[in-house]
This record gives sequence, C-alpha cells and structure tokens, in this order.
Amino acid sequence: MGQFPQLQQEDIDLIDAVLRELLRKSEANIALLVEKAGYLIHQCGNPEQIDTTTFATLGSNAYNAVQFMASLVNESNFSSMYQQGESYSTLMVNIDENSLLVIVFPTHLTVGSMKYYAAPAVRSIAERINEASQRGPGAALDLSDLDPTDVQALFHRKD
Amino acid sequence: MAIINQATRELQVKIVYYGPAKSGKTTNLEQVHANVQVPNASSKGKMTSLATSSDRTLFFDFFPLEAVAIKGFKTKFALFTVPGQVIYNATRQIVLRGVDGIVFVADSQYEKMEENIETFRHLEENLKTLNLNLDDIPYVMQYNKRDLPDAAPVEYLEYVLNNRDVHVPCFEASASKCEGVFETLNMITRMLLHKFLNDGVRAAR
Repeated sequence: MGQFPQLQQEDIDLIDAVLRELLRKSEANIALLVEKAGYLIHQCGNPEQIDTTTFATLGSNAYNAVQFMASLVNESNFSSMYQQGESYSTLMVNIDENSLLVIVFPTHLTVGSMKYYAAPAVRSIAERINEASQRGPGAALDLSDLDPTDVQALFHRKD
Repeated sequence: MAIINQATRELQVKIVYYGPAKSGKTTNLEQVHANVQVPNASSKGKMTSLATSSDRTLFFDFFPLEAVAIKGFKTKFALFTVPGQVIYNATRQIVLRGVDGIVFVADSQYEKMEENIETFRHLEENLKTLNLNLDDIPYVMQYNKRDLPDAAPVEYLEYVLNNRDVHVPCFEASASKCEGVFETLNMITRMLLHKFLNDGVRAAR
C-alpha cells in the first residue's frame, strides 16, 4: 500500500480550485478530500455547517468497510458510496488507493449529476496527487535539530 | 501513515488503542478527552463513539487532539479504539489502516490472560493483512485494571505479553480512575516523534 504524498501549497491551490469548480457546477454544499486512514486533507464549501474532521474520519472508515464488503463478494472495487437523506445526501467517490472525495449535497439534487460533475474533479485530483508522489521526499519535515527532551510530555492532565 | 501537509503546516498522526473486549480502551479515550489540558477549545475535537445499545464499541471511538506546534508544524493526533469483541475482527483491520502508533490495553485480571494473548496475536495478524509489521510500528503496553483484586503481577504480564525481541515500554493503569492514562499517551506520542526524528520523516512521510 503506497502512502499519501506530502502536499505543497501549489497542490492545495489546485485541489482547492478543482473542488470549488465542482461545488459551483454541481450546486453541492461541501466537498472534502479525505485520506483513507481518516485524515481530512482539504475542504471546500460551507464546512462550518458540520464537524468536517469527524465527518472525514467516519466517511473514510465507512468507505473502507464497504471496500471490505466488496472483497467478500469477490468484487475488486466498489468505486463509490451513496447515502440518501431527507435534507442532505452524501456521495463518496474513490480517487486513488489512498484518498477519496466526499460530497455533501441537498437531496433535491440527483446522485447522477453529482457523479457526472465529480468524475473530472476526481481525475484532476488524482493526477495532482500522482505528481506529488513522483516529486518524492524533496520537502520532508526536517526534525533533525529537534531536542527530544522538548517532547517528553506533550499532554498534561487538568489539575 | 502520518500525513504531512506543507501547505497548512500540519503533521497528522494516527494512534490506535487495541486490546481485548472490556479491557478499557474506550475508557482511556474518555479519560483523555475529559481531562486533557488544552490551550483552546479547538485543540480538542468531539469524541465520537460508534457503539452498540449496550455501550460496547461496534466500530471505533475517535477524537482528534492537537499538541503544541513542533518546528512550526501543528501536530494533530487522531486517537482511535477498535472493538474488542472477536466477531468484529474485520472492523479492527479497517481501523488499523494507516496506523502510526499502537497502545495495547491489556486486562490485568488472571482470567483475561488468554484473551490478552489471543488479541495480541490478532493484532500481529491484522497488521500483516495490511502489509504492516508490528516491529516497524511504535507501540506500548498498558496493563489496565490494576485496582482489581485478581490482577496478575506485572512481571507475569510482562512475561506473557511483552516477550518479543524488542521489549516495549509498559504502564500500569487504572483507566477508570485516570491512573496511567496520560503516562501511556505521552510515551506513545514521544516514541512516534522520536521515530520521525530518526527517520527524518523521510520519503513519503
């Protein structure tokens, strides 16, 4: 299993533009780029409406569970997952091995239109992530001069 | 695996509390969530528990916790538990995806020893299905429920559970009283940061 690459500002700028375009065309409310271990990478739309960190974690684990179900029926891939609600619906679409796109949209919009507009967005994001992967370790987080004694106890109990 | 976002200057790390049923994994998270000192409200996310009607973990418990910035990087820890019941083993594999560090929460009671051993074996097997090796992942042992009368001696727990080539740090705990909880968390976070330090957070990290 490969790893999600480090993203630079220009990567995020491009992903942001792609997600904004997706929201504009589809009229969806929120679009999230989520790493499948549960990390929220980027968000667009009206994220103040929901706790997007928790949403991303729940979404990625639900998606992983569905992939596990797919393997049980010898299906190599369920590439998307749709949940219909009364006011809002969600669509999760696979981007690549490590990431997925989560879209929250009003129920009066159709899942078909969401998939239609999501497809080019997914392609663009996948390409960018692939480029970032190819870039390699060029911009690693250098902790070489970090004093280990500074991190003896990161968390403290309230008095 | 850990995510570095250079654009937002964030380092995101995943820690999973793993152990047999009713060993106190959820209690650990609840105690951290209730008692941790945070500089501001946004440093600690809401705790989410996907549990059965009888409060047994069905999928996982989760909450995000932000630590001090390290070298200008906001360090976010995502704390997870797995369900302890064996019937949910597939779920444990899903939650282990992308894990960076593990806290193995063992139940100190004599009668739970076989379950502890079996669960530890499952942990190794589940990591293998994800192409991960426990030898490559920082982990600590927590011997919980030390306050119970039939708790086995720590030496015995160490002999039974902490007997791999590399002896890992262990902590005695009574999670329901918040004893040993922060010591365990601080050790695993420290081990993770030291690992990043040693690795130079290289390549894809």
